[in-house]
Amino acid sequence: MNRNRSRNIFIFTCITPALVLFSLFMVVPTFEVFRMSLYNWGGLSGNKTFIGFDNFKVLWNDMNFIQSFQNSVLLIVLVAVITIVIAVFFASVLTKEKIFATNFFRIIFYIPNILSVVIIAGIFSAIYNPRTGLLNSVLGLFKLDQWQQQWLGDQDIIIYSLVGALVWQAIGYYMVMYMSGMASIPESYYEAASIEGAGKFKQFSAITLPLIWNNLRTTLTFYIISTINLSFLLVTAMTGGGPDGSTEVFLSYMYSQAYSNSTYGYGMAIGVVVFTFSFVLAAVVSRITKREVLEF
Amino acid sequence: MKLKHILLALMFMLLVGLVACGDSSEDTDTGGDTTGDDNTEEPSGDTEEPAEPETLHVAALESAYGVEVWENIIAAYEEAHGNVTVDLTIERNIEEVMRPNMQAGEYPDVFLLATDREEGLTETMIKENALASLDDMLAMNVFGEQVTVEDKLLDGFTDTLATNPYADDETYLAPMFYSPTGLFYNAQLLEEYGWEAPTTWDEMFELGEKALEEDIYLFTYSVAGYFDTLLRSMLYASGDVDLFNAAMTYEEGIWESEEASRVLETIAKLADYTHPDTVANANPNDFVRNQQLVLDNEAIFMPNGTWVVGEMAEAPRADGFEWGMMPVPAFEEGDTRYAFTFFEQIWVPSQAENVEGGKEFISFLYSDQAAEIFLAAGAAQPIEGIVNMMDDEQAFFYSIYSNDVLPAMGTFASTEPVPGVNIGDELYVKIDSVMSGRVTVEEWINSLESANDSLRPAMN
Repeated sequence: MNRNRSRNIFIFTCITPALVLFSLFMVVPTFEVFRMSLYNWGGLSGNKTFIGFDNFKVLWNDMNFIQSFQNSVLLIVLVAVITIVIAVFFASVLTKEKIFATNFFRIIFYIPNILSVVIIAGIFSAIYNPRTGLLNSVLGLFKLDQWQQQWLGDQDIIIYSLVGALVWQAIGYYMVMYMSGMASIPESYYEAASIEGAGKFKQFSAITLPLIWNNLRTTLTFYIISTINLSFLLVTAMTGGGPDGSTEVFLSYMYSQAYSNSTYGYGMAIGVVVFTFSFVLAAVVSRITKREVLEF
Repeated sequence: MKLKHILLALMFMLLVGLVACGDSSEDTDTGGDTTGDDNTEEPSGDTEEPAEPETLHVAALESAYGVEVWENIIAAYEEAHGNVTVDLTIERNIEEVMRPNMQAGEYPDVFLLATDREEGLTETMIKENALASLDDMLAMNVFGEQVTVEDKLLDGFTDTLATNPYADDETYLAPMFYSPTGLFYNAQLLEEYGWEAPTTWDEMFELGEKALEEDIYLFTYSVAGYFDTLLRSMLYASGDVDLFNAAMTYEEGIWESEEASRVLETIAKLADYTHPDTVANANPNDFVRNQQLVLDNEAIFMPNGTWVVGEMAEAPRADGFEWGMMPVPAFEEGDTRYAFTFFEQIWVPSQAENVEGGKEFISFLYSDQAAEIFLAAGAAQPIEGIVNMMDDEQAFFYSIYSNDVLPAMGTFASTEPVPGVNIGDELYVKIDSVMSGRVTVEEWINSLESANDSLRPAMN
């Protein structure tokens, strides 16, 4: 009895600091964001006026916000789909095929992930440079002049240029995660399958994919969160949301409204929408990809 | 058991500490307010000389002029003013450094930060009516001199919306570091081909045709935001100060007027003569490449300010390159031409602890002594006789103004914050789309008018 009680006190003592810090620095600010979204406030002075849901009504009709929302969704979808395909492909090649210097490739693929976004922005603005950039120069080398583009100037394709940078950055990280999943699949399964006459593709779709499914599901949530965050950093460093808002993503739009346009309350309303959106999207994705977990 | 007690005690202390931290910011918040009130009353009760030591908190943006110039200024001020200690915060990202303090109620006494910056902190202060009026500062004598600040300042510098944001006579922001802007070019390039610097837009486009034959583009720009000075000069040139003020106060239908729309049409026409790489480079990462186009003789003109000379000082350039600067071309032969005068602003938050001290400090910045310190770093104060203090190269840019070239000054009138509407985005940033042909002049005018409709009722 006494022993139990002191045990509880001990647990309580250990948990409290984390709980206090968590609520102070995570829960309270999140509530503040929700509360601030109901105010008309510039962000600096004490003049706040409560305006209810007016900020959200304006948001509903704000075409710039809708454009930034579309851009964000496009980025999330494309980055997730393209990265998954490439990362799973390379992961399975590196784990299952006997190729030389596996570790070397693993490191090469992983390097972009440890670079800061500002450096990635620098690298890609050099790659996309219309005159001396790598991309246009290579296209010129192969006499594909008609494919040369203003990668950061043409408003129809600039968002895809961002996708390129984000995918390049993400592949290594996810590849390593998938590789760890694949490495734990017993080799005997593949041996049995090949004796039964299953080809490489069949082995991949019938053994590898189902057994790393849980792994894939978890990373889907990561894609949502990391694309929302990284796209903001990349856009801020590389394009500034331009030309004329064509690469504005919702966090960069939130920033420009909360600060440049002195509408802090409105910025927080955008924050609420982003928060809810990423939460709901992660839940939905997690729900529809739910399968029975296969044991091995 | 003992150990647990100790742990519990530690835990309790940590909690108390955290709670205290949380509270202290509110404490200083209210505390700051009351001391602020006390201070404003004190000088009226006290005699002229505040004998006790004073601390003055100065915040400034670290710009191209560097940090040392401010340290020199402060040393000079402290020397002249025995009992004042100046506490300087100077950073390149000054907004990010100061914003949290200001949100917690701790304001600097003096803040050097211009409008039209990405973070818009100064605009926020204006929109929230959080600046102290500087009218009494203008009436003060310049610190240590026998002339009032108002008389010493160059004419017109305190009559603009950039200093009197509420479109009345009350000055809230004092002008600092003025710099003429205009179209920058390679003077040697024009000489080489025997071209004259155009004085009207018709001549400008004629030159554009001639240049295209030589594979040189007429125009480029760093980022779309740099159109602010060009467009405002063009408004002055097209319809004089009346048109400019009407546009800056969001007058209904102003962009549909003939005079304003010809400004926008001229910009749209420039698209045909703009270097094709311009839009791709017009972002915070690559804008220097557009400036490089001028240095490499690939484009002739770009709108810019005198700071570009220092900014591109280390860049490679065409043989014999020589900076030239001209005012914006006129619309009709013989009309007055304008060159926009860019200046930074210094202001005092009304909730600062030492408002009076802040004003006195600003008055010192217009003294001959301070002006010389600033000038050594390349910054020109807008005071009488400043051009005489300059060396030849500086004087060349500052002597752009003459009888038929006038300075244009001012910015948009302040409004209450309007969510989702930013006139700068509609007027300048949209130019990227006008250049690429995605937005027609008509659509541009419509979006400007609808932005005006939202902003007009929100004017303070």
